[in-house]
Amino acid sequence: MKTGNVATIAPTPDNPTTSRSRRSHRPGRSGRDAWFLLLPALLPILVFNVYPLLRGIYLGFTDARAGLNQDIHFTGLENYSDLLSNDLFWSSFRIGLIWAFGVTFLQFVAALGLALLLNENLRLRWLARTLSLVPWAMPPVVVAIVWRLVYDPNSGPISGLSQTLGFGQLNLLGDFSTALPAVIVVGVWVGMPQTTITLLAGLQGVDGTLHEAAAVDGAGSWRRFLHITLPELRTVIVAITSLNFIWNMNSFDLIYVLTNGGPGGRTMLPTLFAYNEGFRYGHFGVAAAMGNVLVVIICGILLFYLRSRLKGADK
Amino acid sequence: MKITRIAAVTASVAVALALTGCGAGSDDSGDKGGKVTLKFQSLAFQDTTVKATKDIVAAWNQAHPDVHVDYVQGSWDSVQDQLTTQFQGGTAPDIIQYESAGITGFAQQGYLADLGDKLGDVKSDVPDPIWKTVTVDDKIVAAPTLLQSYIVFANTDLLKKAGVTVPTGDTWSWDDLRAAAKAATKDGTYGLGFGLSQPTASMLSFGLNFGGTYFTGSGDDADVKVGDAELAVPERIHQMAYDDKSLDPVTLTQSGSDVMTAFLKGKYALTVQGSYAAQTLAESAPADFHWAALPVLAGDSADQSANPQTMSVAAESKHVDDAADFIDFYMKAENLAKVAEGDWLIPASTSAAEQVKTDTKDANGWPTILASLDHLVAAPFQSVTNYPQWKDQIATPAFQKYLGNDISADELAKELEDGWKSVNGG
Amino acid sequence: MSLQRPSTAVRTGQYVALLGYVVFLGFPLIWLLSTALKSTKEIALGSIRLIPDAPTLDNFSAAVAKANLWQAGFNSLVVAVATTVLTVVIALPAAYGLARYRTILRPITLGWVLVSQMFPTILVIIPLFMILKTLHLLDQLPGLVVVYVVYVLPFCLWMLFGFVQTVPPDIEEAAAIDGAGRIRTLVSIVLPLLRPGIVATALFAFISSWNEFMFALVLIQTPDKVTLPLTLSRFVGAEGQVQLGPLAAAALLATIPSLVFFALIQRRLSGGLLSGAVKG
Repeated sequence: MKTGNVATIAPTPDNPTTSRSRRSHRPGRSGRDAWFLLLPALLPILVFNVYPLLRGIYLGFTDARAGLNQDIHFTGLENYSDLLSNDLFWSSFRIGLIWAFGVTFLQFVAALGLALLLNENLRLRWLARTLSLVPWAMPPVVVAIVWRLVYDPNSGPISGLSQTLGFGQLNLLGDFSTALPAVIVVGVWVGMPQTTITLLAGLQGVDGTLHEAAAVDGAGSWRRFLHITLPELRTVIVAITSLNFIWNMNSFDLIYVLTNGGPGGRTMLPTLFAYNEGFRYGHFGVAAAMGNVLVVIICGILLFYLRSRLKGADK
Repeated sequence: MKITRIAAVTASVAVALALTGCGAGSDDSGDKGGKVTLKFQSLAFQDTTVKATKDIVAAWNQAHPDVHVDYVQGSWDSVQDQLTTQFQGGTAPDIIQYESAGITGFAQQGYLADLGDKLGDVKSDVPDPIWKTVTVDDKIVAAPTLLQSYIVFANTDLLKKAGVTVPTGDTWSWDDLRAAAKAATKDGTYGLGFGLSQPTASMLSFGLNFGGTYFTGSGDDADVKVGDAELAVPERIHQMAYDDKSLDPVTLTQSGSDVMTAFLKGKYALTVQGSYAAQTLAESAPADFHWAALPVLAGDSADQSANPQTMSVAAESKHVDDAADFIDFYMKAENLAKVAEGDWLIPASTSAAEQVKTDTKDANGWPTILASLDHLVAAPFQSVTNYPQWKDQIATPAFQKYLGNDISADELAKELEDGWKSVNGG
Repeated sequence: MSLQRPSTAVRTGQYVALLGYVVFLGFPLIWLLSTALKSTKEIALGSIRLIPDAPTLDNFSAAVAKANLWQAGFNSLVVAVATTVLTVVIALPAAYGLARYRTILRPITLGWVLVSQMFPTILVIIPLFMILKTLHLLDQLPGLVVVYVVYVLPFCLWMLFGFVQTVPPDIEEAAAIDGAGRIRTLVSIVLPLLRPGIVATALFAFISSWNEFMFALVLIQTPDKVTLPLTLSRFVGAEGQVQLGPLAAAALLATIPSLVFFALIQRRLSGGLLSGAVKG
């Protein structure tokens, strides 16, 4: 579940704490009380979230598969050596990376543009703002349906327009070369809300006096954007793009309904591939191993990204 | 702490409420005072078939007060994942509808009951080649119910306008189809529309036209060989689309029903469809739209693969015998004929086929459709364990790429063969 | 915060860009509405007009009659409401505990919120499937509720934690000095202050579980127990026989509840909460 979607509507926990932290140590309030209060929350999380996760990681090292009365055997790294030679998996990985990077980047650019506009005093701002939030409230399945209608070769507006202009019918989701770009557009659309709102909040936090000072020095708006707005937004940008990248890498519902990986596996994201491996063909161990590989690679990319970003911040 | 106690009480009350609230009506199937309840997961999706199937269930329930059958609606689209999870989770229905190419894997995993000595009269009523499609490791794991063949439908007005005589006779050759499509292609009308977004089933089936079997061996030891015989039909389609330009290439990325919609608008003179598409024509074609079902396509032979829909019983069902009895009942000529007419498919049993012939009075292309039953034979791919995975992951993308003019015929052959090794080896 | 008034050219450019965004974001929604109101015939003809020739509600009645939409809608509602209630009941005391006591649990819980985002659902769902099977909760709506509660909980905890922190402990102390009991202080003074937070958390839990797809896909198998997203996803696929009109109508109906709740949350979004959200 993409829980972080409303990251932005929670008030920040850290701001008001400072005035109070010394009071938290008052006598009479022991840590034991905290445990009691937290237990009803922690217990289910342990049983239904932490344990399955650990178990899932372990399954990635076994030969678990569907079948009546199948025993599970520990097989070490066998799944991974098999995966190494599984071209389909790697090609789905490549698609996943194109998708995740493409969507995250375009999402960021589009959302930053919109956030900048929304930060200006424009008429009709409310409309764009409301519209930019709506995809968040829609079930991903519905979003996929909406876009299937838009892309429909027979009755969709895009194909219709193309026919009217004499370019013939277009099957954007069915054509090999256009399927991935077409679903990336949907990915951008659906991810606009949290990115825009986060960036907008960041923009509103930029100190106005900095801009004024720069303007007095004769800096144009583009230069002010580059030298003031962007650096000020750095933390927000790093946070939201990292999260977006994780979510996009792990996304499933949208593609499952839009293309189910087709045509010809051109939109087969790794999560969908792993789902099929597990729940279509019954190879649970291999599916879990794919999940493990996914986690490791996501971590690796994030680590690299965060390190390079933070290094840049030190300078 | 009082607070925690209150919280705990509130939480448990809420949980209890939620559980009882949602749990109501989720009674386990099973015995209620000696009464047996069976779950039948049906994949019927056309209104007429759903009704026909529900009628059969109702008739059974009336005749068998002790064995109640519950109709449960499934869907063709998700049936593979759904059955995998249901079997694994122990929640599989007692009576399972699917198709022969799909059940081999489940049978080998031990999930399907052996019906060999449990089915009655239908044993002799269904031709032997069709029984072969539901036999896994010498066990009969399903009853074959309905089959489809691929049929060419023609917009006879367009054909006549192009000066092509509407073919008659028992079979029609691929060369004639190609010539007709070429003749009928002009002014924005393509000769042929062929919905091949899911190409594997039809390509493997038409492969038999030229003796192409794709697989040798069975079970886990099978191997894929793709030679001239296998490539004959794909190459012809490719030539029509890209050399003759008599086949609209957009249709190769569309589903059969999408192409049918355009066919009804007069965009194509001919279309290759599953036999069931006759229903759309019979029910939705405007009065001034003249169409015909053409004789079955043939290369060296007119053989197509028989991939019947099936009815199986879950091995873990507590009432295998009762479930088998229901399948027997479902297979009765008058019942099977009703379902076949609803879906416009070919019944697997000869007596039911006779019944359909009488009921439909030879209208709406039924004679052609029923005649194709003689050409349906068991194909090797049905007894191959990892066929579904090869189909999804290898064959479908490879055929799509070839039909999309992305790869050559040699590359197609190589992808199909190498892909099998990676799927079957892993 | 614009300093000097932007030139007309800049303003025009801004409006053109804004219009572009409005079209990109809004057009698919309008097309959904338009398709839902078109007749089957008009859809089949491939008309690209936004306003239907003869608007009709046929698709809505077809959608409601065809798919088991009511049953699925009811299931979704039961699951979403149960998830919401349970989540709030569990998260409220926990968030209070987190905010008022500095224990090792705070960094662990908050860390978990972030870490749990990293893992693809596929990794969790296979073992979860087996655990629920053992507990006889597989293919049961209560099982789905349990899973949803657990998966929205970390984030709800975090949200509520933030809200509790905005309530100064001094208020509680003042009430305590006035002789009010601990429980009374919490119920009559702290709880009302937390109302906006509770509402926001509840709405989040509701929308998340109303929209969720993958867990339901794997954990629910019997057709009369499926939730709305599942029904809709199968509506799409039914063997090439997709009727776009009823599909659009059904999709539209399925979105209404979350849109309504969203409208409620949206007002909160435009309030003061937003501004402080991501600073620091």
